[in-house]
Amino acid sequence: MTRPAAPPPRPPEPDGPRQVSKFEFNLLRILRFLVGHFPADQGLTLVRAAVARPECLSPAAVDLIKDTLAKGCVLFLVRHGAWRNDKYLRANVPTPGRLWDRVPLDERALWFSKPVMEFLIWATAEKVNDAKAAWDAAPAALTAADELFFWLAFDATRSDPDLLTVLRRKDAFRLNRFCWLASPGDVAEGDDATPPDFADLFEGARAALLEALQPHLAQRWTRSERVKGQVGDWARMRRQGRSEFAALRAFLLAASAAGRTDLARFVLRTNAALFTGDLTPVFWTGGLQGSGPPRLADRLDTQRAALAVPRQMEVLEAWQRQALAVGFFDDGYQASQLWKADWEAANGDRVAARARAAVEMLEPLRGPLGGRPPEAAGPPPGENPEGSPG
Amino acid sequence: MSRAYRIWLKDPVPQKPEERDDMSRAYRITVKESDTRHLKAGDEICTQLEILEILPPEDMATLLKEELKKRGFEEQENGTMVRKDGDLTVKVDPCSGEVTVKAETEETVSQEAKRDATGFNDVGPSERSLRDKVKDQLQADLDKKFEQEQARLQNKATEQLEKHLNDLQPEISEVVNQVTRDALKQKAQQMGTVKEISEDAKSGSLTIKVEV
Repeated sequence: MTRPAAPPPRPPEPDGPRQVSKFEFNLLRILRFLVGHFPADQGLTLVRAAVARPECLSPAAVDLIKDTLAKGCVLFLVRHGAWRNDKYLRANVPTPGRLWDRVPLDERALWFSKPVMEFLIWATAEKVNDAKAAWDAAPAALTAADELFFWLAFDATRSDPDLLTVLRRKDAFRLNRFCWLASPGDVAEGDDATPPDFADLFEGARAALLEALQPHLAQRWTRSERVKGQVGDWARMRRQGRSEFAALRAFLLAASAAGRTDLARFVLRTNAALFTGDLTPVFWTGGLQGSGPPRLADRLDTQRAALAVPRQMEVLEAWQRQALAVGFFDDGYQASQLWKADWEAANGDRVAARARAAVEMLEPLRGPLGGRPPEAAGPPPGENPEGSPG
Repeated sequence: MSRAYRIWLKDPVPQKPEERDDMSRAYRITVKESDTRHLKAGDEICTQLEILEILPPEDMATLLKEELKKRGFEEQENGTMVRKDGDLTVKVDPCSGEVTVKAETEETVSQEAKRDATGFNDVGPSERSLRDKVKDQLQADLDKKFEQEQARLQNKATEQLEKHLNDLQPEISEVVNQVTRDALKQKAQQMGTVKEISEDAKSGSLTIKVEV
């Protein structure tokens, strides 16, 4: 294993703290908040406040912004999974090691472009929740590092509903693949659950970012699934579930087309974390309040949407069947071996069976078959079982 | 009709009866509106049958089609099997195993609304604008009443569907079981000579002895 070439040495640090204006000071604090190094309450207050915009930024401030972006984003990736000694596909061959061992430097280098700086200046100068000047960035012009940054910015601000409403209308966030992968329920507006094209996500720096984010994504989805049982509003559950299903299904199809099933590991691990035992749909829908929409079709649709994550196991099961059919002399043998190892490690067969059972409990007209006791057939469609708050 | 009087408390000179032309008159308008609408409500569920792949899909589809025909389903031009049970329609696509159960109900509903309004001939809105305003309010009242009727009809359709699903579930299970049994028998015949077939209706078990 060869180590990539060392990056160029950094210029020496000046003596004492650098002088920056009030605007630049705020901008730096906002940036630190967005990359997770500044208290959220203070950061959100700064984002909601406006400061008069200067003609330009001082070289000292620009240096500090570059430094914060570089260190903040890299630190985030390293902490959330890049440090792990794991195996991922490189040219269809499983390659072990930490991210910086597996991926050459030129592929994993983060290049931030103009839209990031423009966003930071805009977010400092304007009240983001009530901005007078417009700002947006064309998604096609964004680099992988830009997308990562905008996702981090979205994630840091989404706890504030006003900011969330403003940001998710901007293309830089609305069409951001990382936003859709991490929190589709927040980025989708209304009933429109059309995710962006994920095809580019499996190449170059974006693929390296996805490798680094696998444990983080698995953790987030597991947490999100566990709190779903507390959602009381039927319409909200339906919106969230639909967007989750659309995002995950589009992602899995793109991963399969790109031959990077290893990058969908987080979906398998999320299901494995959930299905350590048998689960009924109440785990997801138990918090729904009242009898829900008048139409049975809408109630059923909401409940099906709530189980968006277990429903992805059918795709992963199909991948497993394909992997089992790949022979030693076939193309993609090593990739299929890696997938089978992941499947085994997650106890895929049992997880898939449990996920299928949970999904089928919701389906109407599924009666007892072959001596299966009627009580195991689950609640009637569109109704929450006895004992659940809904 | 009631009359309103204006009283001048500070007027030092009492007015003569013939000069009292500034007296305002109140009037009441009663407007009635009625409307008849044809309301429709529907509900449907869609699900997949659990058909095991014992035989090739087209053979399984044929078996399913035959079994459904025995139970009163009619084949449509597009290959789907449909049965109407009153307001309910059950549609099965034998190729994909998709089942759609639809409940539809419709009713012609008449509704009436009435409103009163009081106006003055010298102050406030004119009689015409008052009448228009009351008409708008009546229209809103009627819309609300029709909305309630629509909701009632919707509940009726959903209740019908739920009830029918409970009745339909055992029948669909029987269909699936029968198709599975027939498919197993055919498969056994393809494998060799069938020596013995024994079925236990209670447990749903089927034993086929085949000589290969």
